[in-house]
Amino acid sequence: MEVQRETPEEQIKRLQRCINDLVSVLALPAMWSGSEPTQIVDRLLDALLGMLQLDLVYLRVNGPASEVPIEAVRVAPSNEGMPQPEDLCKTITQWLGDDPQKWPSRLQAVIGDGNISIVPSRLGLHGHIGVIVAGSERADFPCQTESLLLSVAANQVVIGLQEARLLSEQKRIASELDRRVAQRTAELAQANEALHLQVALLQKLPVATWTVDPDGTPDFVNQSWLEYTGQTLEFVRSNAEAWMTAVHPEDRGAAVRSFWEGIRSGQGFTMESRFRRAHDGAYRWHLNRAVPLQDGQGKVLRFVGTSTDIEDVKRSQENLQRTEERTRLIIDTALDAVITMDVKGVITSWNKQAEIVFGWSNSEAIGEHLSEMIIPERQRAAHERGLRHFLATGEGPVLRRRIQVTAVRRNGAEFPVELEIVPMRLGSDWVFSSFIRDITDSKRAEEKLRESEFNLRQLTETIPEMLWSATPEGVIDYCNARVLDYTGFLAEEIMGDGWMRLLHPDDIGETTRVWMSCVRNGAPYRVEVRTFHAADLTYRWCITRALPLRDQQGRILKWHGTIVDMHDWKRAQEELRNTQAELAHMARVMTMGELTASIAHEINQPLSGIITNAGTCLRMLAADPPNVDGARETARRTIRDGNRASDVITRLRALFTKKDSSTESVDLNEATREVIALSSTTLQKNKVILGLELADDLPFVTGDRVQLQQVIVNLLANASDAMSTVDDRPRKLLIKTEQDEGDGVRLTVQDAGVGFDPQTADRLFDPFYSTKDDGMGIGLSVSRSIIESHRGRLWAAPNDGPGATFSFSVPGSPAAPAIPDNIRAIQKPAVTRMVRENP
Amino acid sequence: MTITRSLVSVVDDDESIRESLPDLLKEFGYAARTFSSAEEFLGSDCVDKTRCLMLDIGMPGMTGPDLQRELKLRGQPIPIVFITALRDEAIRKRLLEEGAVECLFKPFSDTALLEALNAALRVN
Repeated sequence: MEVQRETPEEQIKRLQRCINDLVSVLALPAMWSGSEPTQIVDRLLDALLGMLQLDLVYLRVNGPASEVPIEAVRVAPSNEGMPQPEDLCKTITQWLGDDPQKWPSRLQAVIGDGNISIVPSRLGLHGHIGVIVAGSERADFPCQTESLLLSVAANQVVIGLQEARLLSEQKRIASELDRRVAQRTAELAQANEALHLQVALLQKLPVATWTVDPDGTPDFVNQSWLEYTGQTLEFVRSNAEAWMTAVHPEDRGAAVRSFWEGIRSGQGFTMESRFRRAHDGAYRWHLNRAVPLQDGQGKVLRFVGTSTDIEDVKRSQENLQRTEERTRLIIDTALDAVITMDVKGVITSWNKQAEIVFGWSNSEAIGEHLSEMIIPERQRAAHERGLRHFLATGEGPVLRRRIQVTAVRRNGAEFPVELEIVPMRLGSDWVFSSFIRDITDSKRAEEKLRESEFNLRQLTETIPEMLWSATPEGVIDYCNARVLDYTGFLAEEIMGDGWMRLLHPDDIGETTRVWMSCVRNGAPYRVEVRTFHAADLTYRWCITRALPLRDQQGRILKWHGTIVDMHDWKRAQEELRNTQAELAHMARVMTMGELTASIAHEINQPLSGIITNAGTCLRMLAADPPNVDGARETARRTIRDGNRASDVITRLRALFTKKDSSTESVDLNEATREVIALSSTTLQKNKVILGLELADDLPFVTGDRVQLQQVIVNLLANASDAMSTVDDRPRKLLIKTEQDEGDGVRLTVQDAGVGFDPQTADRLFDPFYSTKDDGMGIGLSVSRSIIESHRGRLWAAPNDGPGATFSFSVPGSPAAPAIPDNIRAIQKPAVTRMVRENP
Repeated sequence: MTITRSLVSVVDDDESIRESLPDLLKEFGYAARTFSSAEEFLGSDCVDKTRCLMLDIGMPGMTGPDLQRELKLRGQPIPIVFITALRDEAIRKRLLEEGAVECLFKPFSDTALLEALNAALRVN
């Protein structure tokens, strides 16, 4: 390859340069020590380009199989015709081919403007590390030294790259280590925090938590335990059973047993016991559970446990149990059959009463279809329909109210029941509770009651009397049709307080007062009240009466009343009373008025003649001449009239002393009662308070019953008149009969009237002596005549206090025949005879 | 010239009155006629001539008041002086209201009679 021989100087110079270059190349690793492979490649290429004055230099380093090879190219700055580095790399790779063994040692190629000699140098023994390609336009390229340089450079770069690769691996490992350390540190920190949290959690857990060593000694107890029991950690750790001082004495034995059994067996334990709560001394139920913590070989390291307060749970459980028990008892003892049924119509419960009513036992009934057990066959379809309808729509017309239906017993007998079905939601499903009551008996009783009520109502409605009833409070609640017919009012108008409308306005006040008083004290009610009569639009007198109906305790349940029209009767009674009054008056006038008047009339006639004749006589004698004949005649007539007057008196006396008056045995008591009955109206009118003291076993008297009664009437009338002006004291009148000395009978009439002057007592019985303005002074005179005709005596005496006492005494009959009662009754009309017979 | 005495008629069932009263009336200057009953008086010829009627109240048959009403009905209002043995002011009052001149209770004095007669004739 050397075209011309060199001079020695030239040779020395070239060699010198070569040595310099070699030194430079050898110095390269020092420069790139610690650098990255790319830096190494860059430096090498730059050094070669300058050292060998190359036009291009290319280097490729194959990385590990997975990595992309490192490629780099340098072009001499003077050579401007070179293509772009990327295209250059491709071109060179194509030239070389894939197999390093087949690479040429040198080749000529046209690149850009010029012809270039290219020399590849393998990196690594077989070029497996890579290649350096050097190119120069010089024809002598490469000379010997250049080849040497390239070869050394190739070795150097391989070493450099291997170092760099080693270094890079070391760095990677170191950083990996750092990363791991950091990660671990973070993990530890995290773990530490979690641990703290867990401990705090354990301490604050609202459940007592503890650990126990395998030998049973407590190792740890949390805050909850200490606070609950009031124990300290030291105390708990002091011995294995120290914590048990918190256990209720009754539970301690069992707790100790369970604890040690669980510890020794290594199985742990579950037990319930009561622990004393320190702050209030209450014992509360706790559930204590311990589980063993074991290592890989199954050896027990610790026991971990909790004590949970279950007092409330337990109590509510007990309550629930009690409630359930109570509910069951209530249902079982219920008077109703209580049956529940699910949505399919299957019986889910069946109480005692249901067993009794239907004849199926609880175990037989539960699980069966309700419809088949108690519903008559003909109604089952309707039952099923109703159930389906309810489930579809939520509506059930027969639900939640009592209805009467027919049910069937085990023996097939049908019977009436009262039934209420109550649907209840249980979760997503419905449950139906049925309350069923056998009303066979009550139905029968009801029918009977209805029947008897009907009968009673028929009776009260058809009975020809006016009937009514009232509540214990006095509120009218019923009137029969007679009342409505009579009054013309509607029932609803009379009910309650409406009955007052039936009454005459003047009677309402008093009637209401009496009625309310009876309602209050339960006394029989009786009023005479004017009641409206629709037929003639008048008020008619009615007797309204009511009696209370009482229960066994005497409480008033009801008032039952009647209304009786007594208008005509009352009128008759009034008329009778008037008649009676008239009769009494007549009797009195007869004895005192008419009698005296007739006596006066009888006497006045002759007196009138006497006076007229005497007057005429005087006038005749005074005439001139005197009419002596006339005077004689008139004087004769005067004498005649005087005799006439005398005859009147004689006749009058004879009237009461005539021997042919009727004589009979008279019971003076009976006669007195008759007179009182006759006089009672007058006496009442005069506000006389009558006292009666009639002696028993009074002897009969013989005489004229009517005349004796006339005397009594006279005495009563006088007494009554004597008190007519008395207003400052009671008008007391006492009639007394008694046996007189011997066999006499005495009757006394004592009044509280104006009395009389004792000095005039003797004159009281004189004819025409009267202390009264309208009196004629005949009554007592005649009375004395009558009594004397009975061989008796009549006298008067002033009272110690106000008033006077008149008495008569007549002899009794020697042998009074016992008069039977019936005959006495017949004798009564004698009183009226007295009136009739008197002139 | 004939002087005719005024006629006083006495109607009373009591004989002593019928005997005694005419004499006294004649002493007073009147003519007097007596009748034992109202019917007798009505049947006589004295009804038109009577200037005053002395009339008893209580008589069998037609009573004094009956006769008073009858005369009124006949349009012959003769002044009437009732005389009665029954002393009853109520009856007297009623009779006076009916138009009687006076009602004298027997026995009455001659002066009371004279006053009543004078009053009766004044009415005429």
